[in-house]
Amino acid sequence: MSVVVGILARALTMSTPLLYGSLSEVVAERSGMMVTAIEGIFLIGAWGGFVGTYLWGSALYGILLAMGLGVVVAAVYAFVTVTMRQHQVVTGTALNILVAGLCTYFQRVLFGIPTSPLKIERLPQLAIPLLSDIPILGEVFFNQNILTYIMYAIIPLIYFVLFRTSTGLAIRSTGENPVASDVAGISVNFVRYMTVLFSGLMGGVAGAFYSIGFLGMFTAGIIGGRGWIAFAICFLGNWHPFGAVVGTLVFGLAESISIYMQSLGGAGFLPNEFFIALPYILTIVLTVSRRNFKVPAKLGVPYVKEGG
Amino acid sequence: MGKRIGASTRDLIITNFVAIVAGLVLSGLLLLLLDINPIQVFSSALTTLFTDRYMAAEVFLKATPFIFTALAFAFTYKANLFNIGAQGQFYLGAVAAVSVSLLLDGKIPTPILLVVVLASTLVAGGLMGAGIGFLKARYNANEFLTSMMSTYVALAFMNYLLRTVLKETKGEYPQTDALSEAAWIPRIVPGTRLHLGFVIAVVTAILIWVFLYKTPMGFRIRAIGSNARAVELAGINSRKIFVIAFLISGALAGAAGFTEVNGVQRMLIQDFNPDIGSAGIGIAILANANPIGIIFASILFGAISVIGTMMGRMPGINVPPSIVSIIQGSVMLFVITAYYVRAIIGIRRDKKRLKREEA
Amino acid sequence: MREEVKGNWSEIEIRNVSKYFARVVANKDVNFTIRKGEVLALLGENGAGKSTIMKILYGLYQADEGSILFDGKEERIANPKDAMRFGIGMIQQHFSLVFAHTVTENVILGAMRGIIPYAKAKEQVESLASRYGFDVDADALVGDLDVGVQQKVEIIKALFKQTTLLIMDEPTAVLTPQEADQLMEFVRQFVADGHAVVFITHKMKEVMEIADRIIVMRDGRISGDLRKEDTNEAELSRLMIGRDIVAPEKVDFEGRDHGQLGLIVENLSLSRGKVKLLDDIDFHLRPGEVLGIAGVSGNGQEELCETICGIRAFDSGSIVLDGVDLSELSLREHIDQGIGYVPVDRHRDAMIGSMSLAENIYLKFSTHDDWNRHGLIDANNLRQKTLESIEDFDIRAPGPDVPAGNLSGGNQQKLILAREMRLAKKLLILNQPTRGLDLGAINNIHTTVLQARAEGLPVLLISTELSEIFALSDRIAVMYKGRFMGIFLPRELNTERIGLLMAGIVPDDLAHVADEEIRAEVV
Repeated sequence: MSVVVGILARALTMSTPLLYGSLSEVVAERSGMMVTAIEGIFLIGAWGGFVGTYLWGSALYGILLAMGLGVVVAAVYAFVTVTMRQHQVVTGTALNILVAGLCTYFQRVLFGIPTSPLKIERLPQLAIPLLSDIPILGEVFFNQNILTYIMYAIIPLIYFVLFRTSTGLAIRSTGENPVASDVAGISVNFVRYMTVLFSGLMGGVAGAFYSIGFLGMFTAGIIGGRGWIAFAICFLGNWHPFGAVVGTLVFGLAESISIYMQSLGGAGFLPNEFFIALPYILTIVLTVSRRNFKVPAKLGVPYVKEGG
Repeated sequence: MGKRIGASTRDLIITNFVAIVAGLVLSGLLLLLLDINPIQVFSSALTTLFTDRYMAAEVFLKATPFIFTALAFAFTYKANLFNIGAQGQFYLGAVAAVSVSLLLDGKIPTPILLVVVLASTLVAGGLMGAGIGFLKARYNANEFLTSMMSTYVALAFMNYLLRTVLKETKGEYPQTDALSEAAWIPRIVPGTRLHLGFVIAVVTAILIWVFLYKTPMGFRIRAIGSNARAVELAGINSRKIFVIAFLISGALAGAAGFTEVNGVQRMLIQDFNPDIGSAGIGIAILANANPIGIIFASILFGAISVIGTMMGRMPGINVPPSIVSIIQGSVMLFVITAYYVRAIIGIRRDKKRLKREEA
Repeated sequence: MREEVKGNWSEIEIRNVSKYFARVVANKDVNFTIRKGEVLALLGENGAGKSTIMKILYGLYQADEGSILFDGKEERIANPKDAMRFGIGMIQQHFSLVFAHTVTENVILGAMRGIIPYAKAKEQVESLASRYGFDVDADALVGDLDVGVQQKVEIIKALFKQTTLLIMDEPTAVLTPQEADQLMEFVRQFVADGHAVVFITHKMKEVMEIADRIIVMRDGRISGDLRKEDTNEAELSRLMIGRDIVAPEKVDFEGRDHGQLGLIVENLSLSRGKVKLLDDIDFHLRPGEVLGIAGVSGNGQEELCETICGIRAFDSGSIVLDGVDLSELSLREHIDQGIGYVPVDRHRDAMIGSMSLAENIYLKFSTHDDWNRHGLIDANNLRQKTLESIEDFDIRAPGPDVPAGNLSGGNQQKLILAREMRLAKKLLILNQPTRGLDLGAINNIHTTVLQARAEGLPVLLISTELSEIFALSDRIAVMYKGRFMGIFLPRELNTERIGLLMAGIVPDDLAHVADEEIRAEVV
């Protein structure tokens, strides 16, 4: 029993950063922007989270730095893809390589080559009084860190903004038919900048979660494709916040099981490596089996206005 | 008309040159943070590059797998498809290369062995590519996601094999036994590591260019990339082309496994060449997905990589190896922005001429 | 919350405005005034710069030179938001609607801030619709609506923003004649309320019907600024075209007995879900005959073309061309049968803009052995054939190697037609072949069609331009909701009758004609 509860609680923990990432991706893609720099944004968030916490002694500074750096990367991405109208996949690939280099490089600039890995204190688990005493559910949902609790609030908030406010309407229209937005007096580029910067903000937090909330340190391979998984979840969740929630829970569970199995050193005939690959295999299977995608009509298409 | 084409070619050369220099300058500035004099290290690295035969050959050695992975990306990119999984196809190619080499080593003559090994890498990478193409054609599965994820699966698969059946006889590290000399790709410049694989890569690039621009199938692949619906309406089955394009793309990436295992490492080691897939994308972009341009862009990236290694080995200076990713990434980013700059320059020029004519 | 609108100006002056696109002068020294209480028509051929000048006024484009004055005071309009602040609304020729959203969502886009009170917004939309007698469901998805209704959504969108100047770009292009009349009625009512309308069109008849004042444009410049009562159609035509154009002449169709030759379509039906895209279509198109298909676009014309060409499968019925049953053939085999097809949207279906003229011709021949040699593309042969086409079809291009996208719309269309004429040994299908082209190109294409007819090719011509249908067709079918409303001889129809047929109503005096079984054999 406690093993199961442990796996479920861990699943929710592992879902948290994926959800920050995929929700922000939902918002951006609804406006027509694939944030393919998400892997790099996660990575710089992880690094920023580590550095801020290590240097200034508080996780809060770490998270703030992660958000700031995430926004900077997102801004570069937005400039190249929105203003310069360059290809989103290609631009993301370039930025991801560059960011990977920068994180490792500045790690070295700041800390040299330490003899033992630099550690920071992980975000504490905050048991919510009363709620955490509920059997099973309490342990799973209400004995998490602060970022998971904030996530609980973000889910309905994003849903509300997207579907109940003029901001959300503008975002969704821009992804479906930017001409309609433009003619209605909404700046397509402004909307897209904002959603991408928001992605940078959220992606930064997601990345910080891996260093501050999970590992307590920074390594070059700390993200290892999880940004891409968040990216995939947005697709698989059909560009809907609730779809993204379901998707991340599935992946969080897969990852949690994977970690548990790895701790056992594999299970029977299934080797350890199978469980390492499990989330990625799951993505492929879901990408293939999922039907009826409601892709925003102009996803990934730069808005070229004649007569500029 | 002729004058206009001249102007746009000039723009291309100038802007790309500026982009490359900008990438180098940016990385140079970063070196200052480590109290390293960038001019000094760059010039000393470049001097070595142009005077030391061994290091010069290293540039082409490094360029060899880049040519293959860049061709792999460019090939599908021409069809407006994204094969982000060249890294994984390369891993499978490497696994095939080392397995077949170890299996047949000493049993057949070297030239035949090498041909068989090369063929096996093409098949391994090609099948993985074709699989992605098939999922796209049959289930309309987003190839960007499936190819991306397939790399992580291929990596786990390779690591599994290295831990189990392929593990060295000593059983100490997750790596294979060394290949015997009979399975080595012959070297072409004495006193260096440069091997025949580079020639194969260059010839492949030329053949791919001929295929894309001179054959009916190459035409269809390019046409699909520009307007898939128009091609469908011309009576051509685009799904078949998805599979073919991915098959060839995967095979190209698999071939990099051959040159790296049989030409350079002469064994399979865990975590080797982890970045050639993404570098391939960068190179393909730099060359605007032109196969001939890819040869030169690969040599440039090869040089960046060698310079990075050299700088890391300079006594008492200690430049971190991550500078290579920084140079590569920033050069890519600047090259992408150069596309925009060129478009703007072109429009300005047209508009100016138009106004002059009107006046 | 709604934005405040300052629409209480009495005239707008456009002064010396010029606009240069990269390769064309779109507007040069344009001057005119828009006044409240007046319908101003902007008349000109396609590409004359009518839309451009209005997009500048609406803030979608920025002028390179010149200024815009409201009651004598210069104002900067940097984007549509600025224009809306002055009460300017514009309905684009290609509607700017979000198909995946509801009518209400489309109407309030950009006009509300903060949390959206959906129930209240819906009420407002409904009350606006009823005030002008529009039958529009506020909760419907816009993508599900007919084009005529979509236009009403666009009008409601403008009204919702308290528009005092409504600019409409070719608004009747998608309407039946009767719907167009209703639109004119709305325009009169709107102007009578003290507002202003700018009506962009290339149709002389509409101008004479609705305009108070007329601005004629040609090659980006103003070629006339007149009051309606001071002018006539002949003068307008001269100002608009500025050169002599002789329309090709048509000889009468000879009703020979062709037996089973030509295209015979019987009981052709196709459904998507519960919607009947094609409903029991029957006709016999004979060699040397042009069958014109009139109708508001979106009534199954494209589906009809695509089933005949083998692009789409159909549910039941048969299609036989020169005695060959096409239903079992692949798309490739359809093409090889000798069917040439010019689709309605060449950019989407027929052309590759980034590829050269030669490659665009090669597109449909890449599997033909005589276009390839030793596994390679036969470049010399391709070049030769492309030069031939350039010559024969009067394609204005610097050479066979320039990208097709660099050509003007008319020359692109001639290129597609040249390719399809190479293929069309047995049948030529044209779907709105002259949409958006200038008169020179239109004439050129009409000549080709009549030539094909004279050479004995069966021609299926779909068009929404009634003048084109009447000029070229030997018989005319009218399509409505996937059905043929009957096949008629041109002399049996007039604008009113065809208009009713386009709306799905058979006029009483035609009932006997429409009821007859396949009118093919009558002539």
